[in-house]
Amino acid sequence: MSIRKTPLHAAHAAAGARFVDFHGWEMPVQYEGILAETRRVRAHGGLFDLCHMGRLVITGPDREALVERVFSGNFSKLRHGRAKYGFLLNEDGYPIDDVLVYRDHEVVHIVINATGREADTAWVKEQCRAGGFDATVENVSDAQAMIALQGRASEHVLQPVCSADLSALRYYGFANALVCGHEALLARTGYTGEDGFELFFEEAHAMEVWNALAESGAALDVAPIGLGSRDLLRLEAGMPLYGQELNLEIDPLEAGLAFGVDLTKDDTLGVPALRARKEAGVKRTAISLAQDGGRVPRTGCPVLQDGVRVGIVTSGGVSPTVERNIARALVDASCATEPGAAFDIEIRGKPHPMAAVAHPFYKRAR
Amino acid sequence: MADRPADIQYTKTHEWIRIEGDIATIGVTDFAVEHLGDLVFVDLPDAGADLEAGESAAEIESVKAVGEIYAPIGGEVTESNEDLSSDQSNLASDPFGAGWLFKVKISGDPVEGLMDLATYEAQLESEAS
Repeated sequence: MSIRKTPLHAAHAAAGARFVDFHGWEMPVQYEGILAETRRVRAHGGLFDLCHMGRLVITGPDREALVERVFSGNFSKLRHGRAKYGFLLNEDGYPIDDVLVYRDHEVVHIVINATGREADTAWVKEQCRAGGFDATVENVSDAQAMIALQGRASEHVLQPVCSADLSALRYYGFANALVCGHEALLARTGYTGEDGFELFFEEAHAMEVWNALAESGAALDVAPIGLGSRDLLRLEAGMPLYGQELNLEIDPLEAGLAFGVDLTKDDTLGVPALRARKEAGVKRTAISLAQDGGRVPRTGCPVLQDGVRVGIVTSGGVSPTVERNIARALVDASCATEPGAAFDIEIRGKPHPMAAVAHPFYKRAR
Repeated sequence: MADRPADIQYTKTHEWIRIEGDIATIGVTDFAVEHLGDLVFVDLPDAGADLEAGESAAEIESVKAVGEIYAPIGGEVTESNEDLSSDQSNLASDPFGAGWLFKVKISGDPVEGLMDLATYEAQLESEAS
């Protein structure tokens, strides 16, 4: 399969990005350096090309009933103009993907991971057909561009090119507005732990909007950010990455993401299975680990307690914000996991100590 | 970019080797350091360790990845650059000087395919294109 490029590829190349193959997409992994970019987003802000991510649009009379069927969260209580985090679960309660659902008056938008573009679409369409819902599921991933602007400067960067009053838009709210004169959906959501926006609009305007935001941002020390820093920012903020913290063998209860599941729902795929597992007792638990310096914990490193293997690292890295090595790990529920609890992670057969810490590693002051 | 010395030899895997008498000093090139990105950790062989040519001898860890360093020549490690274990900045700023990694007392032949500077730079050109 040939590698795909987003409509912003030329802008990244011109800005000196280093590229990486991310699930079949040639994406910028870094510009000035992963640590410097992470510090920049925490101090000022950053601009992210997310065109590779997937976007579904659901319309038709039964659209909300279909979403109730496939989405784990409490959708019926979600107000119009608001977004909610949750999962597409299979029958056994394991996530096919983690998603954000945006409830609008005539339409429901679902943002999915790049890896799920085809599979998630097929899954939701299949559930639509099987349930006999009168709804249309459209994969608009290619037709739409997606850009995120994250960090404390975001509102000041976006406001000059945006028709909406951004100060009125709350966290996890969204609005339809003009950006650079083009129709866009803009949401106060993100994946960094900072204030910020995610913008969705017609793909043809990607470069124009990107350049406008880059120009508006430059005066406020806001610059493009690569996927390397994006991964670190979300890890610091305690957010999961599908495929690492969550997959077809790690469910949301184990991953510490029960807030994305409404366990009272009976008609949502996978929820009854999760409820049964919760009643039986969840066998594994996600924890946060930290250590000053030394070897960097990486995905897949074995985790030990008292010399016995109890789990694995699901994500790890060097945090420039808390200035420690940090990791998320999935361990046996029987482990001592209170802050300060001692673990070792194994790298090349050698144990390296890490201690359990409070979750998340970083929380912005509000 | 660091000036690459012409009086040393280079490997396909971006190590360099300087041979003086029966002692070889080994490091990595500016290209390798640049490619790894932000460095966070260096694991060097202990003095006294016996290395075979081509064997994994050290690791340089960056925020993003772990780079393996292969011994370009066999021998007993006489010294490691311990300064790098607490501060990796010399590796980034002076990879051919203060950023050296370890020294060995040579025994046996080097790995095949050691290159002079011109050949190494030609390889970098072809990798970039």
